[in-house]
Amino acid sequence: MLRHFDKPLFIAVIILCGIGIAMTYSATITTIDLADYWQRQLLFTLLGAIALVTAALFDYRHLELLAQPSYFVLLASLAAVYLFGEVKGGARRWLDLGPTDVQPTEFGKFLLIVFFAWYLSRFQERIRSLPYLLGAAVLVLVPLGLVYVQPDLGMTVTLAFISGTLILINGVRLLHVLLVAFAVTAVPVWLAIQGTLQNYVQDYMVERIAIFLDPASNPDAAFNVQQALISIGNGGWIGMGWGEGSQNQLHFLRVRHTDFIFSVIAEELGYLGAVLIMGLLFFVIWRLIRIADLAQDQFGRLITLGVAALIFFQTFVNVGMNLAIMPVTGMTLPFLSYGGSSLVSMMVAVGLAQSVVMRHRKMDFS
Amino acid sequence: MNERATRTATSTSIIVRLTLLATFIVFCVRLYGLQIVRGANYQEQAAVNRLRTIDLYAPRGVIYDRNGEILARNRPSFVITVIPADLPPNDITTPVNEQRIALERLLAALGADTDPEIAIRIAEVMFLHLGREDFKDTVGTAGITLEFRLVNLETLQINDEGREILVEVPTLIPDLSDPLPAAGLLALLERAVALGSQGSSYKPVSILDLVDREQAFRVAEQTYQLPGVHVLQKPVREYPFRELAGHVLGFLGPIPKLAAEDYKAGGYDNPNESVGLNGLEYTYQDALRGQPGRRIIEVDILGRESRSVSTERESEPGLNLHLSLDIHLQQVMHDALARQLEKTGAPHGVALAMDPRDGAMLGLVSLPSYDNNIFSEGLGEEYQALEVEDDTRRPLYNYAIGGLYPPGSTFKLVTATGALAERVVDPYTVLVDRGPIYLPNFFFPDDPEQAQAFVSWNHKLNILHGSMTIVEGIGLSNDIFFYYLGGGYPNFMTGLGSERLAKWMRLYGFGELTGIDLPGEVRAFVPDEQWKRLTKAERWTTGDSYNMAIGQGDVLGTPLQVLVSTAAVANGGYVVKPQFVREMFDTQGNLQWQYEPVLQERIPVEPGLLAVVQRGMWHAVNGPAGTSGNSRVEGVTVAGKTGTAEFCAWDAEIQDCKDRDHEGNLPFHAWYTAYAPYDNPEIAVTVFVYSGGEGSTTAIPVAQETLNAYFHGTGDTAP
Repeated sequence: MLRHFDKPLFIAVIILCGIGIAMTYSATITTIDLADYWQRQLLFTLLGAIALVTAALFDYRHLELLAQPSYFVLLASLAAVYLFGEVKGGARRWLDLGPTDVQPTEFGKFLLIVFFAWYLSRFQERIRSLPYLLGAAVLVLVPLGLVYVQPDLGMTVTLAFISGTLILINGVRLLHVLLVAFAVTAVPVWLAIQGTLQNYVQDYMVERIAIFLDPASNPDAAFNVQQALISIGNGGWIGMGWGEGSQNQLHFLRVRHTDFIFSVIAEELGYLGAVLIMGLLFFVIWRLIRIADLAQDQFGRLITLGVAALIFFQTFVNVGMNLAIMPVTGMTLPFLSYGGSSLVSMMVAVGLAQSVVMRHRKMDFS
Repeated sequence: MNERATRTATSTSIIVRLTLLATFIVFCVRLYGLQIVRGANYQEQAAVNRLRTIDLYAPRGVIYDRNGEILARNRPSFVITVIPADLPPNDITTPVNEQRIALERLLAALGADTDPEIAIRIAEVMFLHLGREDFKDTVGTAGITLEFRLVNLETLQINDEGREILVEVPTLIPDLSDPLPAAGLLALLERAVALGSQGSSYKPVSILDLVDREQAFRVAEQTYQLPGVHVLQKPVREYPFRELAGHVLGFLGPIPKLAAEDYKAGGYDNPNESVGLNGLEYTYQDALRGQPGRRIIEVDILGRESRSVSTERESEPGLNLHLSLDIHLQQVMHDALARQLEKTGAPHGVALAMDPRDGAMLGLVSLPSYDNNIFSEGLGEEYQALEVEDDTRRPLYNYAIGGLYPPGSTFKLVTATGALAERVVDPYTVLVDRGPIYLPNFFFPDDPEQAQAFVSWNHKLNILHGSMTIVEGIGLSNDIFFYYLGGGYPNFMTGLGSERLAKWMRLYGFGELTGIDLPGEVRAFVPDEQWKRLTKAERWTTGDSYNMAIGQGDVLGTPLQVLVSTAAVANGGYVVKPQFVREMFDTQGNLQWQYEPVLQERIPVEPGLLAVVQRGMWHAVNGPAGTSGNSRVEGVTVAGKTGTAEFCAWDAEIQDCKDRDHEGNLPFHAWYTAYAPYDNPEIAVTVFVYSGGEGSTTAIPVAQETLNAYFHGTGDTAP
């Protein structure tokens, strides 16, 4: 069983985490309040590695039993947030659990992946008929609606992307896809005609889109993006060297250890370093798709693809934002951005995929 | 899994992998575009972000007197500035104004809310930045009404003849003597920052200057919490002898708006740079200033310096000036003149001392004077005008070079030289003072009642000088003698007449600037026939020649011109250019510049004849009944000439000259001009007291004390 543990995947993840620690060090060491962040990130990496191995040893097939409860846990926690949640920065996203605040959606991603993988694999054949597809749509729209009203557009889109990917990969009729696509576009248009669209769209979302389309409308956010571009361009072929990026070290680049860690990489390690690290990230996703192909059952396949979709989506949105081809969202770069819960949950996700690949032979006598 | 499902799985897997690959390639291409294709452009922007060019202060040159006493130096002082680009920008998505909060915090850190002195000074600095109109408007928008004062502002204009003249324009300026409320100060700061952001927003904008070391350090410690705030060193010019040499040294101030373009063309990039606005500080501005250096530093996003990258240009300290002025002699002259002004109640006066051999100025006093330290910390043109307004005697005016007065009998040196050189008389010619002489009226030559009387000063005292040669004529300052020299007398003798008087007046340097190294010198036209026809539409009469011969009528000159004419008599006929600065040294003590005395072509008079004029001046001091006996100095032979010049200060209200005495006589200026030693002159002195009365009583004591101090020491220095 251990023989099938995906070592290249594991090594790639550990290298990415190591680079994440190094870049966190570079991005925070000149700020007194953040000077110990690299040590914390190191600790999170160690915890994450343990969690990864633990998840790999755990047989993912037991999760099928937990699929339905996990959906209700997801709904319950979102409902709790809706009713009793903490408000931070104008959004109700946190639950106060004594010593620490928890953001249920961080783990909700996995609950949703597990539940959806179960639902789709359970009704894999029947999903081709419309009622089951609509059932899936309703099941996903309920938690999505609760996340949307928090409000958390980034997470809503992430969850929608993951669910959508899983449904598509599981197989649907082209006609149904067109129907859904029509509904998705028709509803906002209908609301717009009714003049009630703005009741459903949060102000800050409109603002973000507006800033993306016209950066001058918010000088502060435009400043961050502009500084990110300058940092990236400043790197050139081989970069200014680790700990030597002027945009990073002199703090022209803001939120540099989380949202804009990729700009720090591009500035200090240059084009070659940035492409290499991007290559590592895509290699991780590639290996996950390989695992999905090897999976012995549809449940394992969908879980792995859900994880791959999650990592791909976050990478795509974060790097896209750094490269100014996507609007600004607070989405982190997997394995590289500073942050404990994001890192640990990503490693658990990779551990689940390892669990799938380790058990991909139905009979294993070794 | 059935076969169809497997096929589907394989094809989706391929699609997914292709999507992945495509995304990766798109990102790589985009990254290539940013980092490689447009890399140079972004690297330049990154350099703009982090690199700042800062001016390195070049210490202004020190000014020394002839004995090495420091007359002008630099006192350390600090300025609190903000760099607009480094202030937190106002985030429009938040209800609060971040920039305003930062400025409020700065005001609190400076203590503007608790210390009225600081609040006043901040307002003054803002006034300098914004100018009158903008200051008024900005404070107005904050809902605060200002008190105003009316001053007459001198502005340079071009008159009809195309010459520059000073015109007084009544102007309202805000009264800054009370502290503004915090809202007003905040509005001013915001306005100054907004203006600063328009140009190069990395240029520091001064908020508070004249900050002492202690307070500067206190603010510097807080700059961690005050992004964009910088403490810069900016020394203040200090004049230890205060008003003693105010007119010689001048003062500094911000570049005047009228001349801003000229200064910019001359390499003065900062419009608020302090430059010499008067005196030697003005004349030698470029030498004293040196060259400010330039350094490139790296700053972080808060604008704090992280390291110095390179020095683009070293700053070059200004040159030190060494003057011929003797500050202790200046002190004696100042005190003596001040005493005489007090005694006579005269509004102003001048005392001058110069080495007649090369024009080296030993002293220049123009009273009232001013403490030039006030202007180093001052508020620029408008508030200088305020100072002037407060003192009707106009202390900023340098009467020694800026005042034109009838030279009176001191002009007889010119007339005498001309008459001898032109052979109107010879040294032995005897003329007789028999009392007033009468010129027949031009239109009624046969009516003695219409004849015009010309008297000599001694006639009023019932004294007749009788017969005399030119030596006694000068010594006694007999006017009748000089009337004959100037205008002759019908059927008796031919005088110099208008043209020759004007010629000799010009030869002695009247009508031209002396060329002293001080700004603001004026000159008068030499009156001659053509001048009179053009300006007064009258013909020149013998009476005009009479008046001109004794330095009255339309003859005008500055006290400095009288000094130069005296020096020309003393040095054997050379008109010299008066000069204060003898040498300039760099900070290493190397001589960089030395003054070469400028002697004009010798006045064309035989030395023997000029010696007669000298003898006349000797006679005035040392001869029997000489006018200037009181100017004798023990052990040294002095030669001198008094002057008592009638003048008319026309008052339009009473349609007459002001200050006539009870008999209707006009008031007099007191003059005395002298040199010593007689045989080998080292010093020439001229004293002038406006409306001072008799030259012999008012002006001579000042000259005597000056000469005495020069030859016998001031008590402070060896002779």
